[in-house]
Amino acid sequence: MSHALPLSNLRIANFGWVWAGPVTGQTLGFLGADVVKIESQTRIDLTRTLPPFAEGEGGPNRSLSNHACWAGNGSVTLNLKKPEAIELAKEFIATCDAVVENFGPGVMERMGLGYEELVKVKSDIVLFSMPAAGQYGALKSVRTYGMSLTSLTGVDSLTGYPGGDPVPFENAFADPYNGILGAFAVLTALNYRDRTGKGQHIDHSQQEAVMQMAGPAFMDYEINGRVAGPLGNRHPLAVNAPHGVFRCAGDDRWISIAVTTDDEWADLVSAMDSPAWASESAYSDRASRIANIDSLHEKISEWTAAVDDRALAEKLQAAGVAAAPALNVGDLLEDPHFCERETFVEVDHPLGFKETIYGAYVKTSRTKASVAPGPWMGQDNERVFKEVLGMSSDRYDQLVSDEIIF
Amino acid sequence: MSDGALAGIRVIELGEMVSAPYCAKLFADYGAEVIKVEPPTRGDRARSWGPFPNDTPDLEKSGLYFFLNTNKKSVTCDVRSAAGREVLDQLLDGADVLIENYLPPHLRELGLDYASIAAKHPDLVVISVTPFGQTGPYAEWNGHDLNAFHLSGASNRYCGRPDEAPLEQGTFAADFYGATTAATWGLAAVYGRDLVGCGQQVDVSCAEAIAATFTGGQNIGGAAQDGRFDKRTGVGMSLGAPATILPCKDGHVWVLALEAAQWDGLARAMGNPDWMSVDIFQNMLSRAENRDMIYPLIEEWTSQHTKMEIMDACQAEGCPVTAVFTVQEAAEHQHIKDRGGLVSLEHEALGSIRTLGAPFQLPECPGGPATPAPLLGQHNTEVYGALGLDVGALTADGTI
Repeated sequence: MSHALPLSNLRIANFGWVWAGPVTGQTLGFLGADVVKIESQTRIDLTRTLPPFAEGEGGPNRSLSNHACWAGNGSVTLNLKKPEAIELAKEFIATCDAVVENFGPGVMERMGLGYEELVKVKSDIVLFSMPAAGQYGALKSVRTYGMSLTSLTGVDSLTGYPGGDPVPFENAFADPYNGILGAFAVLTALNYRDRTGKGQHIDHSQQEAVMQMAGPAFMDYEINGRVAGPLGNRHPLAVNAPHGVFRCAGDDRWISIAVTTDDEWADLVSAMDSPAWASESAYSDRASRIANIDSLHEKISEWTAAVDDRALAEKLQAAGVAAAPALNVGDLLEDPHFCERETFVEVDHPLGFKETIYGAYVKTSRTKASVAPGPWMGQDNERVFKEVLGMSSDRYDQLVSDEIIF
Repeated sequence: MSDGALAGIRVIELGEMVSAPYCAKLFADYGAEVIKVEPPTRGDRARSWGPFPNDTPDLEKSGLYFFLNTNKKSVTCDVRSAAGREVLDQLLDGADVLIENYLPPHLRELGLDYASIAAKHPDLVVISVTPFGQTGPYAEWNGHDLNAFHLSGASNRYCGRPDEAPLEQGTFAADFYGATTAATWGLAAVYGRDLVGCGQQVDVSCAEAIAATFTGGQNIGGAAQDGRFDKRTGVGMSLGAPATILPCKDGHVWVLALEAAQWDGLARAMGNPDWMSVDIFQNMLSRAENRDMIYPLIEEWTSQHTKMEIMDACQAEGCPVTAVFTVQEAAEHQHIKDRGGLVSLEHEALGSIRTLGAPFQLPECPGGPATPAPLLGQHNTEVYGALGLDVGALTADGTI
């Protein structure tokens, strides 16, 4: 585990805010890059103000959800409404490999930090922009929240109980998804830069990136003209059945069971002690099970309803059936699998409290991901301005008192 | 694709269905050379999953396979046999990356666990993407996309009605999430391989990636500290309104108006009905408390208009309401076409067929599908010939 992290020679300036952009920075940071988020006391990010707070005490450096989602980024405070701050940002960018931002199209330009300006201070800079629907096109200015962005991709139209209306997905699944993919995009462009010496401005449309998830349904439309509606938990391509989430004993306890082959069906039947109904013609072959999926799922629900979800998962797995409990948030902390993989870790925050965040959610066999607590505002000011940019203490103090480093 | 962003990176894919193939597609669509190794005769199981033209199964006509395997080469190889394993080793000799999604017990059976591979190919980056990962008690479990998704806590927390089953999004959400995560961490391992000094295994659990970065990011700090956590509501946001999906004349719209300016914008789009100016409706929290009263009133308006009329009117007033596009409406939207979001390719069995374009755009070295998904074993002669192997003999003895 003594190997250097793979991105330890990269430095990233991250103007990302809210969720997706910060996750791009975090991902690169976990992998060794020096990532510095640029933010300001003059406009504190909304997610820094969301409860719950560490030890119940409010403040922009104590939001537990913000810290988990931003951990891995450093933080420098610059009041970007002031021209001197823009110049300092550019000075810093001149030392960076890439710049990340997730404002709407045109915002970086209006601040004087558009791609054309950045190239002047660093000719091979990679600028990564991830607006909702891209930098150009009729929908480029569309207003969405991360939660509703998926409505523009077709994915929301597939989400809901079969035959019913779409059911809203109640948080921005697209944000961390795009954040992680964003780090891939940055690395593709850096790989190109290393080979050719050329930087570029990446246009990452969150809409198009997430629309890929609707690819299987798109192909059915393209090939057969069929336009799918909400599918529930059924197999997206109806290759087999049962395929669903079934109620277990207790309050809001559920198990997922996914049968995708006839062998898995045989394993399930034997785990159920071969009930007579399972050999009826309505369920005995694949096509019949798919055609009669509602009654099939009812029969399985009757069988699962009185049983503990975890015990049932163990029993079904022992028989070779793909089954797992549908966990709630509280379960995540106690689940033996996530505990053994150290998915969540408690860390000491430099401001004197403990917080639980997610750690290395990918395991790399020769390198140990860099996991740090959530950044507090301005924690890297002295390091960046004095060490990286070589600023004198006098000038630094002046800029702080002038509320430029602020 | 010789000038693609990832040109020069050589990837071997031992993947089936969605997760590893999508991970490898991200490499392929941005210029890496991806050779997909498929079991002889049956190929990747996605070839049997469809959708097929007229629902008639045909290994060369699966829409899912087509979507996930553009820009790749296909060779066949029975990696269970000793001779097949030798062929695979020769392929890995010339590769930078192996992407695979076999369940760990199966991988061990094949002698393809990371320790065995690393002994012969220490510089190879091995990206393993599975529902649960390579370690931990569930590493031995059977599992699919559905199981991984619901293990992540995402559905119990965020999707479905409280008294009914938690829901996935009607697609392979966990597989896509895991694949994207795997491509990112895997590419980093290749990009920085000289710094690291060797290859390594990148172990991705689809369930864990979502449990950590999505469900966990938003919820785990509070749950750990205070022992409290929330669950799905079925209506959208619980602490603000409107924030839900409502029916309209031709489908559905995502109605969001949380900030004061957005609520005022919605009111203007709706023609300023009197009820919207009532005092208790002037903040999102009190609107949420009165959501049972408000949603039917907004629905009276939405039900008289189409999703595009509603979206256009609201967006023009600064209110972030959007149409819930069907897959057809999303893909056929002029915005997507103008951005090259649909790509037409010629396929030997499927004919002229469209697929989705690149997930992000690199102006200097555009990515995206350029060659159609391969026929099963289409590149046997080319790939094995270049290795100096006797394709005829390997075919005759069933190795490929």
